Amino acid sequence: MKVGRRKFLRTGSAALVGLSLKTDRPIRGSFVNDSFQMGHLLRNRASFPPAKRIERFPVVIVGGGIAGLSVAWRLRQRGFTDFVVLEMNPEAGGNARWGENEITAYPWAAHYVPVPGPKAAYVRELFEDLGVLKNGQWEERNLCFAPQERLFLYGRWQDGIEPAIGLTQRDRDEFRHLEELFANFRASGEFTIPLELGRSSKHQDLDRLSFADWLELQGCRSRLVNWYMNYACRDDYGALAKDTSAWAGVHYFSSRESEEKGPLTWPEGNGWITRRLLERVGANVRTKQLVHRIAETKRGASVFAGDTEFQSEFVIFAAPTFLAPYLVLGFPRLHDFIYSPWLTANLTLERLPDSRGAEPTWDTVFLDSPTLGYVDATHQSLRTHVERTVWTFYWALADGTPAENRQLLLDKDWNYWKEAILHDLERVHSDIRQCVSRIDVMRMGHAMIRPAVGSVFSEERRHLTRRDTRLLFANSDLSSISIFEEAQYHGVLAAQTVLDNLHGHR
Amino acid sequence: MGILLFISVLLVAACGLIYELVAGTLASYLVGDSVFQFSTIIGTYLFAMGIGSALSRYLDRGLVYRFVWIELLLGVIGGFSSALLMMAFAFTQGFELILYALVMVMGVLVGLEIPLLMRIVRDRYEFRDVIAHVLTFDYLGALGASLLFPILLVPRLGLVRSAMLFGLVNAGVALWTTYLFSTQLSGTRTLRVACLVVLCALGVGMADARRITATAEDNIYADDIIFARDTRYQHVVLTRFKDDLRLFLNSHLQFSSRDEYRYHEALIHPGLAAVPAPRHVLVLGGGDGLAVREILKYPQIESITVVDLDPEMTTLFSTHPLLTKLNDKAFLSPRAHITNADAFPWVDSNTESFDFIVIDFPDPTNYSLGKLYTTAFYRAAARHLSAQGLMVVQSTSPMFARDSFWCIAETLKQAGLETHPYHVYVPSFGEWGFVLASTRAYTPPVSLPSGLRFINLEGLSALFQFPPDMAPLAMPPNQLNSQVLVRMYENDWKDVSH
Repeated sequence: MKVGRRKFLRTGSAALVGLSLKTDRPIRGSFVNDSFQMGHLLRNRASFPPAKRIERFPVVIVGGGIAGLSVAWRLRQRGFTDFVVLEMNPEAGGNARWGENEITAYPWAAHYVPVPGPKAAYVRELFEDLGVLKNGQWEERNLCFAPQERLFLYGRWQDGIEPAIGLTQRDRDEFRHLEELFANFRASGEFTIPLELGRSSKHQDLDRLSFADWLELQGCRSRLVNWYMNYACRDDYGALAKDTSAWAGVHYFSSRESEEKGPLTWPEGNGWITRRLLERVGANVRTKQLVHRIAETKRGASVFAGDTEFQSEFVIFAAPTFLAPYLVLGFPRLHDFIYSPWLTANLTLERLPDSRGAEPTWDTVFLDSPTLGYVDATHQSLRTHVERTVWTFYWALADGTPAENRQLLLDKDWNYWKEAILHDLERVHSDIRQCVSRIDVMRMGHAMIRPAVGSVFSEERRHLTRRDTRLLFANSDLSSISIFEEAQYHGVLAAQTVLDNLHGHR
Repeated sequence: MGILLFISVLLVAACGLIYELVAGTLASYLVGDSVFQFSTIIGTYLFAMGIGSALSRYLDRGLVYRFVWIELLLGVIGGFSSALLMMAFAFTQGFELILYALVMVMGVLVGLEIPLLMRIVRDRYEFRDVIAHVLTFDYLGALGASLLFPILLVPRLGLVRSAMLFGLVNAGVALWTTYLFSTQLSGTRTLRVACLVVLCALGVGMADARRITATAEDNIYADDIIFARDTRYQHVVLTRFKDDLRLFLNSHLQFSSRDEYRYHEALIHPGLAAVPAPRHVLVLGGGDGLAVREILKYPQIESITVVDLDPEMTTLFSTHPLLTKLNDKAFLSPRAHITNADAFPWVDSNTESFDFIVIDFPDPTNYSLGKLYTTAFYRAAARHLSAQGLMVVQSTSPMFARDSFWCIAETLKQAGLETHPYHVYVPSFGEWGFVLASTRAYTPPVSLPSGLRFINLEGLSALFQFPPDMAPLAMPPNQLNSQVLVRMYENDWKDVSH
């Protein structure tokens, strides 16, 4: 009797299913946060309006990214409020900007900070201020939830990004050999964060060859080892191993204790830190202020933004340093500042795609993809049930020269990048086109400093970290690597230098 | 006489609608696919009413006499329709055939009623008044029935007795009509006797409905799976073997009706009975209402807040007759307040404080559920504890998942709570464990509510003793960033099944 009834129902439901056609969802989106137009005005030395107004601040900070905001954080923390931060973009944050839609907040670039080691004292101090570090304990909700990372390879998933399945004995030996080498470098105490605190001439020779060449010298032939080393360089430096200084390559693996706790992350990535910093220093930040000229004066410097001249005793240049020759009168050309172009995209998903049975993780990487995979913005959600989400897709355009890739970013339309991204994801998530409703793409021609061969021990760079001038530099590119801790370190240091000198004056 | 007449219009309209709703609801319960059932039944019913109306023109003499007989027929057929359909489902192969035949017959009879009534009263009123009054009361009756049915009838009386009650109304209207129109009727005695016979039959039916339902159900649910649905959140399956009703969520057994009292009494009473003057209780998870049933045994409790993710679960356990029987209609208690929300964000955003908190989630089988077993979650939950409050956590089996059980206990400890683990034997689960947690020392209860089948004061202290094979193990706490528990749980149960 049951059979008859079930059959009857099955026929009925089959008829209904037949009515709903399987179609791809229309995918909307656009380029967002474009800022190259303004950069090009500076490059082409366009004429800017003459100053109509004068404002006076003892301290003017150019650039409202993490470096600039960290200057502001330290100044206010020390009770000094008579300063202004000038930010070109409509939103402060730089590489720690974020976006938000009805589903979640999501990052536009940097999305985590590894649990800082003992040397990163300023970062620890900041996290104590933000309530992330309490009585020596890291706030559980700010640590990346498990499961954290997965790699898709050979048609299946593995935990973690370092390839661990399908390895030959040779692959294993090479991984182990490198692990030992990195452990020794770590033990040397020279590969630290902040980088400046450990760096010494002892390993300066590493800065004279590329990481790829160094790996070859160590006898690394394994395809998987090389893939992983290149992935690391693309991820942190936006460059291939052959375009990265061996010193920087080693630093990536030797600067942190193998820490099972971290990293620290939030739905909007490091945008969360930007938000907290803006709560503290937002009153001093002015956005949409395109600085177009900085002229040193007898008693300091004048900063021209729009039709205002900001007269100051100290200028802290926290914007990317490569802009200095275009802004600062009489500034020499720079040679050791090369930047990697990047593309990030935020994908709105109406449902989770087929993931071949795996539980979602925070970070997902595909073996042999030119991209860096994606990070799930709702991973840090406390909900047990998530239907819609946002993925932040990362793509360092590392293959080819930065100039070529910047041109590519300018030449190709949104549709091109949309298709490229979906094509990449489709290899693993076959139904991704039925899940995504929106893809917003952010193009960054000079996304992060590239630690090219010779740049870690660059004389030019050392010269710019001088503290005895009225124009101080503070961007993370002074360290030749673009990470949160370096930006914050240089920002705080610059603030302290200025505070010392201001007090000295009075 | 006018108003009395129109009240009978109202009553017969209500009866008509009730039979239709009973048929639709029963078919939905038994066969599933409620949209399909209601659509086809309403359609067939309306179509049959049309036939009835069309046929009414062929009746030209003795209208009142015929009206009385129609009411009696409807009383019998409609009144017993629900019982008949249950039997048909349980004992025949032709449930659908009988269902639609019955709907057709009732529809035709109901379709005859209003045209006949209009013609009966047409000489007393203007035509336009007849139309206006009769239709007004017709629709009023329909409204009344449609509100009564879900609010009062189904929860209080059930489908079988609701139909019979309205069968009685039909028969009552028949009897009443013999008095209202006694001047236009011949053979009133025979009619009245017939009315009384029908009334008696339905009355006996009402009294005996439980047995009818039971007889039918025993056969209906000889099948293993009696309910299966993919809700937005989980796969819900209800099975029955003889008198054992079992609920599975995503294939994990949640309870067996034979021994769930052991689980739920153990979950609630060692903790709740130890709280001095408890007034407000929070239940996280527990969409089956069985924990609430136990909590309701404390008259001094003013409110029970249930937070369960899945509205389909809480609705199922508020309406399904077998399930409300099991949980004693716990969710219909005015003291129970159901919120359908994800527990962690709810705990984070809510600010109320509670004297007793019951944490009764499914086992940590995946990372999503694992979040609800972390120090972060327990810290957030403990913020809701009143000064004298206690919290109890279902903590999987200390026997089969010994690591997991002690990991949960350690997690509660790391969240800054004092812990008191205990365990019970539930035949369908095996040894099962709970952890009481509090910010103050725990003193065992000195009295318990009456009528408990498992927990008693004498046996209480034994629950807190762990024999060597379940004895405490040193385990790391489960945290959001490590989620050691999920892997641990997987390994624990892998060992059991191998």
